[in-house]
Amino acid sequence: MIPSDQFVRFYNEVFKFLDAQGGDALEEYYRVVSGQQEMHCLSLFKTRGLAGMKAYWGRIAVEENCDMTCTLYDDRLEINMNRCPSLGKAMDNDAGAFPRYCDHCPGWVIPLLEKAGYRCEYDMIGRSVPQCRMTISPADPDRPSRVLLSGQ
Amino acid sequence: MLRYRETGELHKDFHGSMNAAVEYVGRRYGRDGLRAVFKATAQRVYRSIYEGLKAGDWSGLVEHWRYFMDREGADYALSVTDEAVVMTVKACPAVARLRKLGLTPSEFFYDQTVLLNEAWCEGTPFEAVTEITGDGNCVQTIRRSSKVLKC
Repeated sequence: MIPSDQFVRFYNEVFKFLDAQGGDALEEYYRVVSGQQEMHCLSLFKTRGLAGMKAYWGRIAVEENCDMTCTLYDDRLEINMNRCPSLGKAMDNDAGAFPRYCDHCPGWVIPLLEKAGYRCEYDMIGRSVPQCRMTISPADPDRPSRVLLSGQ
Repeated sequence: MLRYRETGELHKDFHGSMNAAVEYVGRRYGRDGLRAVFKATAQRVYRSIYEGLKAGDWSGLVEHWRYFMDREGADYALSVTDEAVVMTVKACPAVARLRKLGLTPSEFFYDQTVLLNEAWCEGTPFEAVTEITGDGNCVQTIRRSSKVLKC
């Protein structure tokens, strides 16, 4: 058994393997993961909206030992990840981190949020910095979701 | 000494993520694909355990098993003799979590144990025998390989 504590280091090896297959193998996997995450999140996000998202990520913050703030406003939810344990573990790893490890997160989060009727501005800041920011708000056809790397 | 020794809360839903990951890789790339990923995990992520095994020392693996099976609340027994380490898992916490999530274990789910143990023993004086004895039960044996000739 891979301990749940160390799943992300295994995940990191899955990303390396899929990336080596070429084509869009990695992106296809993110789409499949996004579909699977619907089981945990989609109904909650659709029925309770931003408050449901705050509840979901609040539980994740505790269980995954994140240093994170999650602030709910009338029109948006802002998540500031000050220390991401997932990238932190991928980096604290004798096998080394997959260089685009961070991409899996917007890869599954954004399609799911859009399916729930929301848009997301996802700032990864930098792929070797275990920090990121997400701003989630109701869908707006004039402002599609986007991924940023503001620190690079 | 363990290379990785997490503390704090547990996110056991990662066992569901593991189920999905092995299903995805196994379905598309077969057991050879899974074998490649678990070989990298066993020999590169858990390099210190693997280096110990290559040197004939299983203490790193035993410490890893004890720490994380305790941390996950597993019902298990571990015996260490001169010839073998045997871990008998009576209630696997990963399978229990899948059941709680309403998930059916992938046909590749147990490969995380079978292929990981296999890769840990590759090129070492040990061999792994992993017997799945029931739903959430298994017996994992790491024993001195009969293929190694003693001078």
